Amino acid sequence: MPVLSGAVTFSRFRSEPAGNAPSDKKRWLSKGLKSGAFEPIDLKKTEDERAAGFVELENHDSVEFSTGAILYGDYALFGFRVDTVKVPAAVLKAELDKWATAFEKQNGRQPTRGEKAENRASLRHMLRQRAVPSTKVHDVSWNLQTQQVQIWAASRKQVEEILLALEQAFEVKLQPLVPAAMAARSGIKDEELVPTPELIGMEISHNEIPSSEVAHGEA
Amino acid sequence: MGRREQARIEAAFMRGDTGVDGGATEEETRDEAEIERDKAREQLLRGRAYLGREFLTWLLWRSESGDALVDFEGTGLVVLYTGRCTLRGVNGDVTELMARGALAPYSEQVKHSMDRGLLVHQARWRLTHGEKVYEVTLDAEFLDIRAAKLPELMAEEEDDRLLERLYLTEQLSKMVDALVQAFLEVRASRNWSKKAVPAMKRWMKGEDEAPRATKVQLARAARG
Repeated sequence: MPVLSGAVTFSRFRSEPAGNAPSDKKRWLSKGLKSGAFEPIDLKKTEDERAAGFVELENHDSVEFSTGAILYGDYALFGFRVDTVKVPAAVLKAELDKWATAFEKQNGRQPTRGEKAENRASLRHMLRQRAVPSTKVHDVSWNLQTQQVQIWAASRKQVEEILLALEQAFEVKLQPLVPAAMAARSGIKDEELVPTPELIGMEISHNEIPSSEVAHGEA
Repeated sequence: MGRREQARIEAAFMRGDTGVDGGATEEETRDEAEIERDKAREQLLRGRAYLGREFLTWLLWRSESGDALVDFEGTGLVVLYTGRCTLRGVNGDVTELMARGALAPYSEQVKHSMDRGLLVHQARWRLTHGEKVYEVTLDAEFLDIRAAKLPELMAEEEDDRLLERLYLTEQLSKMVDALVQAFLEVRASRNWSKKAVPAMKRWMKGEDEAPRATKVQLARAARG
């Protein structure tokens, strides 16, 4: 749990309510987290390889989100858990080869492509039942007074996923704290912020720059 | 036509090797250098990353004097670039350059490269705020906090230590914002192209020393 100890690496955002600000923050938090709560992969019912959602910070199996479990002073702290189940290709191939050898011995011929494909699917299903999901949890800290949101993940792809989950669950807009977004908030016009030719060594006009709307994955 | 031949034709079409008429598609006419430059340009403009690069470069120039650059919560904030520094550019044969060494960011080689159009894309800072010292690595595109070192925690109780740690990370984040705000104030003013950029270029060429912050500048930055 990086929030509690270890490497300090996080992406920075500022939360802006998309609609009306919530009147009861505790209820709003709990409701939001529950709406995007983590649900484990049910290996018997689904073929999904991945499950992701919110969990409590100090108990990654709990999705109760009681006030005591998520509120720490001015901060809301919780985790975003990602479980993945994968059948390693090498293991599947080894099992398939074993089956093909046994088939040849029994039937006096090699299995056809169709027979192999059919068996590959059932072998994959069997191996998947035995697999243990790998779990990763990324912490989120949200200062409810200053509206600063920190996503404690190093991978940008992961940050983007958590960002979308937060925006959907809490109906907020999370603005990245980058110069372009800060300039826009300060009311500085786009035209005043074209690249400086003397510094970058070439002229780039305002029209050549993509829209200043800072989109996720582009910030 | 046999099934295998049909499959081969379809595969070539899916790869983009042939068009709907079965003829070969046009070959990539751009050379490797051109492709590299286009990629570098796309990285520069994406999300206005150039603003982050100009910010990190401006701050490198401003920080060389060792003076406090902004007033943060009543105390001057001193920034020093340390260790590894990555430069990126779009114009020229080199699109990325990495400099290592305790004072590499302030070296003549780095200044010369900046004069040729490469700007700071990633850097490690040491921030001194009163008695507290922070270290952090930042990149120009996202200004994410990476591998930060926080001042030693003073609290003893576990819960208090957690809150102190969170407080320090937020302070660090606010310091970065204060520096960005000071940059934006200069960047959006007439002084940027009239005074700051020519002075930075002279500094890159080794003709000028880095500026000393005046009280007026500090006060203005604090208001930002």
